[in-house]
Amino acid sequence: MKVFPQLGTGAISQFPVVKHRRLRTVVNRAADGSSIKLADPAGGYIEWVLEFRGLDDTEIATLQEFYTDVEGELTGFTFVDPNGNLLARTEELNDVIWQADPLLTLTGGVADPSGGTSAWHAANSGQAPQCVIQTLNAPAGYIYSFSVYAKAAEATGLTLLVAGQRTARTATTGWTRFVLTAAGDPTANSVAFGLEIPASSAVDVFGPQVEAQPAASAYKRGVAGGVYEGARFRDNEFMYTTTDVNRHATTVSIFYADHL
Amino acid sequence: MAIFPTLKTKAVAQYPASRAIRFEHQALRFVDGAEQRYRGSAGPLHSWTIRLNELDETEMAAIEDFFASNQGRFGNFLFVDPWDGHTYPNCSISKDEIETIASGEMRGKTSLTVIENRG
Repeated sequence: MKVFPQLGTGAISQFPVVKHRRLRTVVNRAADGSSIKLADPAGGYIEWVLEFRGLDDTEIATLQEFYTDVEGELTGFTFVDPNGNLLARTEELNDVIWQADPLLTLTGGVADPSGGTSAWHAANSGQAPQCVIQTLNAPAGYIYSFSVYAKAAEATGLTLLVAGQRTARTATTGWTRFVLTAAGDPTANSVAFGLEIPASSAVDVFGPQVEAQPAASAYKRGVAGGVYEGARFRDNEFMYTTTDVNRHATTVSIFYADHL
Repeated sequence: MAIFPTLKTKAVAQYPASRAIRFEHQALRFVDGAEQRYRGSAGPLHSWTIRLNELDETEMAAIEDFFASNQGRFGNFLFVDPWDGHTYPNCSISKDEIETIASGEMRGKTSLTVIENRG
């Protein structure tokens, strides 16, 4: 599937980003103020309005080429939420969406740096490194920033993984946010993000987050993930304004509907 | 029962916030101009319009998650009135749509209305 292009900065969008999330509920309201409701979970859609300013010639050409390629609203493409955490179930590391190696024990309910109890204790009782990974069907050639908070009872190494890229860090007794920014293999169909815990070690982890941009923003709990396959442009017209030499501006609307 | 999320400051709302009370009365008007009124419901229903500015990404995501997990106006939740601390156990969001605007880093904005339900 085609993928919405990243800008030259490695970001998907610029500020401001407007996001509409619309759901559908059928409501029968009685005269006394009571009501009967019927949900329609498949009837929802999300729309992003992306304003771009100061694009250079290459960036506007890339956007225009992509728009032409998908023929406006005709063809779907993969879009990642520019404001969201692309990972799903980030506070449920025991969910099936996470693939944990067999000798890695994950225990929830650990105090986290934001004052809650959503951190996890990851203990590797084996004699080899063990991983916990989530694989996304996201554009593999994007630049991603994978971040996670970690701490340990004593200085302990851990490795952040983004596709084939890896970087070693040391967790200490205080919560530290570690970030790995890397691009995946452009020829792959998916990208894996995760942590590797060395043999006979244990760390507390909290807030794994993936964003399609070069740096991490504040942690956002990931629930359903932020990769939308089958998104489309809202309009059949792509208009941009050239404001100066090598400077262009445009606004595009992208929507994603479950039922399309 | 779900609970409406609070901000990092533990507040539910920011200024300006609006609060309303709504009755469901009926009035019959006769040809001579006289009217007869009667109560159409057991009592008033409350609503609160909550406008949130300068939210960080975590707070914005929490509000949006709450909206999604409630399926818009379908789900009911418990809401604590920020004016007087009274707990209203049967509330919902008024609309099936939420707009979030990220104007910059840690500068998110959104607005929603919570309504009290009957029955």
